[in-house]
Amino acid sequence: MYGAPPLRRLSLLLLLIAAGFALPLVLPQYFLYLGNFLMTFAVLALGLDLLLGWAGQFAFAHIAFFGIGVYATALLQARLGIPFIFGMPMAAMLAGFIGLLIGLPATRLRTVYLALATFAFAEAAQWVFNSWDKVTGGPDGLRIAAPDVFGYKLGTDPTAFPVVTIILAIMIAAAMYLTTSKFGRAMCAIRDSEHVAAASGINVRGTKAWAFAISAVYAGVAGGMYTLFQSFVNPDVFSFHQIVLLLSMIVVGGLGSLPGVLIGVGLLGLLPEIMRTSMRGLLVWQEFVYGVILILAMMFMPRGIWGFVRAWRGQ
Amino acid sequence: MSAAFFALRDVGMRFGGLRALNRFSMEVAQGSIHALIGPNGAGKSTVFNCVSRFYRPSEGDITFDGRSLLSLPQHRIAGLGIARTFQNIELCRGLTVLENILVGMASRTPLYFPFGPSARRNRVEQAALADAEELLERTGLARHRDTPAEQLDFGHQKMLDLARALACKPKLLLLDEPAAGLRNREVAALDALLVDLARNQGITIVLVEHVMQLVMAVADRITVLNFGEKIAEGAPAEIRSNPLVIEAYLGKGAHA
Repeated sequence: MYGAPPLRRLSLLLLLIAAGFALPLVLPQYFLYLGNFLMTFAVLALGLDLLLGWAGQFAFAHIAFFGIGVYATALLQARLGIPFIFGMPMAAMLAGFIGLLIGLPATRLRTVYLALATFAFAEAAQWVFNSWDKVTGGPDGLRIAAPDVFGYKLGTDPTAFPVVTIILAIMIAAAMYLTTSKFGRAMCAIRDSEHVAAASGINVRGTKAWAFAISAVYAGVAGGMYTLFQSFVNPDVFSFHQIVLLLSMIVVGGLGSLPGVLIGVGLLGLLPEIMRTSMRGLLVWQEFVYGVILILAMMFMPRGIWGFVRAWRGQ
Repeated sequence: MSAAFFALRDVGMRFGGLRALNRFSMEVAQGSIHALIGPNGAGKSTVFNCVSRFYRPSEGDITFDGRSLLSLPQHRIAGLGIARTFQNIELCRGLTVLENILVGMASRTPLYFPFGPSARRNRVEQAALADAEELLERTGLARHRDTPAEQLDFGHQKMLDLARALACKPKLLLLDEPAAGLRNREVAALDALLVDLARNQGITIVLVEHVMQLVMAVADRITVLNFGEKIAEGAPAEIRSNPLVIEAYLGKGAHA
């Protein structure tokens, strides 16, 4: 984790973008919807992994920043007429700013106390989404107008797909650069030993707070992506269930590894679809199946699928 | 009297009712190897943790190069040129040997925008990498460059802890039991390394150590601590024959 990401890996992102333009021509709408959804979750999971897998901070506020991103992007457009390409970065910055505000006091806490405090924040945010009717529409939800990007009307799955793909590619590239940078190493140092980090001249609290902010920006961007293909949002989207799903994705795929996170999102994101189509009888057991996968992964692949693959290739 | 290069003055540290350090003073001359010894629980590591600012002393002052450390945050200490190792080996276990060295260089690696490519980034990272490789060569860790720290054997982990500390180009190096658990041959190598650091590179060393063979061989001066208080200070020969020291280590009547 030094220097810069290898060009071979960066060039894969160009392939991803090419696929983003090509696939809407061939895939049926439902698969495109699924793709949009998974790519949004991938950005969300990348952000959580930066905080959890890289900086080692057990925080549960992530889904609240996702909500802030969705509502802010939608409202900036609906109320103030700010188009998506400005609205989404503004919403992401807002999420990041609130993340920094939460991060500063939260970094005084550790382990289970940090988890509880951030969980409380997530619950409080959901309460705000539910009760601030005039802005969020409360439990009845909010209609999201079809966003405009460079004159192209999006809002449907095929039209949004290329833009969602480009945003995903940018966020992956940013994460690749971040994790090979001095700042990325500082996050890892804090995860592995705060004593070594501090004695080496790393500002532990400051780095943690910035990790919080960066993670929140990712969630905010994911929120913006959501408005590209969804026409409606209500507070149920930001329930605790989602953070459990996100955590499962990261842990199963491999904490602290970018390919691992993407594998985890793909696998656990597609699982309900596979069960719906080919194992209908098992569908009611969905939560149970998630639990079993999580337990098996932790027992036999404590470093996730990617960690397992790497260890296997190394031998 | 001119101000010492590194000094603790009347430092007191309490944990609840326990007095870990009681008006402890010590002066370290520039370029010297100064050993800090004493029985287990005497407060030696507490001294280091006060210097690292992990603990806030309840009284007294710690100065380095004429300035007080107590007003500085933890992460500014390394930037002044003070590095330390840890008694129970602390490493970034998930990072490779090379990455651990790069972490150790944090205080002298300039900042750059981390989210994308830039000329500045290339320059900083390349310079850091070259420096780190050179340090790996010097400390004999080059063969393990890309090994995760957790997979190293004990001796190499100890060496990595020291190399990580050296990575910040320290003027003052605090070593917490560097010889503990090492084999005789490794202690001899450490002996030579410490002498080289102090004599040829001008690094001032404060050495907490139980391995007397090492202490007596390399120390210019020894301070003895017992129950948080200084009981003796002097050249190795004086300390060896000091009855108070013998009593602290072996109990009353041992020097009959």
